[in-house]
Amino acid sequence: MAAESSELTISRIINAPPATVWKAWSRPEHLAKWWIPAPVECKVIKLDLRPGGGFETLMREGGGEFQPHVEACFLDVVPERRMVWTTTLAEGWQPIEPWMALTAIITFEAEGQGTRYAARVLHKTPADSRKHEELGFHEGWGTVIDQLAAHVQRLK
Amino acid sequence: METCLPSLDAAFHALADPTRRAVINRLMTSPAPVKELAEPFRMGLPAFLKHLRVLEDSGLIATEKTGRIRTCRVRIERLTEARSWLSEQHALWQARTDRLADYVETRMSGDENGG
Repeated sequence: MAAESSELTISRIINAPPATVWKAWSRPEHLAKWWIPAPVECKVIKLDLRPGGGFETLMREGGGEFQPHVEACFLDVVPERRMVWTTTLAEGWQPIEPWMALTAIITFEAEGQGTRYAARVLHKTPADSRKHEELGFHEGWGTVIDQLAAHVQRLK
Repeated sequence: METCLPSLDAAFHALADPTRRAVINRLMTSPAPVKELAEPFRMGLPAFLKHLRVLEDSGLIATEKTGRIRTCRVRIERLTEARSWLSEQHALWQARTDRLADYVETRMSGDENGG
C-alpha cells in the first residue's frame, strides 16, 4: 500500500492565548479530556515534556481493559511554542516498531487574542512503506485492501 | 464526524491484530458462522470470541443470530472508510484539533493565569 503523499497539516485558530492551549496539551488531567473522543476513555501514562521524554496514552472502550493508543518520544519541546514527538522512538530514544510511524510537529503561535494552532504530521515515505511490505510487516493489511478493492469492483 | 471517528480509531486498532485481519479476509469471501470462523485458529473459543467482539465493536463486522447459529459478515462501508490511511489520519488529527479547541474554549476559559 504505497502512499502518494505522506504528510498532513491541520491548522486553526483557538480563542485562547498560547499559554492556555499549551496547558491543555501539557498537563495529563487536561490532555486526557480531549485526546481521544468520548465515550472512549483515555489514560495518560507518560507526558514527560523534554527531549527524550516519554509520551504514552492508553484507551479503553466500554469499561474493558486499557489498550495501547500512542507510544512516543519527545524530540523537541519549547514551552508555549512548539513540541515535536515521534512514534518511532519510545522514552529515552529507544527505537520501536510502531503500528503507525509518524512524527508530529505541534506549534502554538499568538495571533490576535488567540492562538494559531498547527499540527504537521509526517508519515513514512512511500519507499519506506514498500520496504516494510517486503518484510511482511503490512502483509495482512495489504491483503485486506486488495480483497476490498476486488470486492468493491464486483459491486459496481 | 465526531460520532464516526471513535469507530475509525477502533477499526485501526482492530486491524492491528493478525487474527482479526485473517477473520476479515475470510469474511470478504462470504458471511460465515462463528464456529466455522474459529476453526483455523489454535485458540479457545472464548479467546476467539473476544477477537470477534473487538471487530464488532469497531464496526468492521456485524453479527446476526438465527436460531442457535451466529453468523458474521464484514461491513464493507466501514472498511472503505479505513482504506485511505492518510485521509483517516487527516480526519483523526482534524477531530483531535477541534476537540482541543472546544476543550480550551469551553472548559478552560478564565483559566489563563495558572491553575
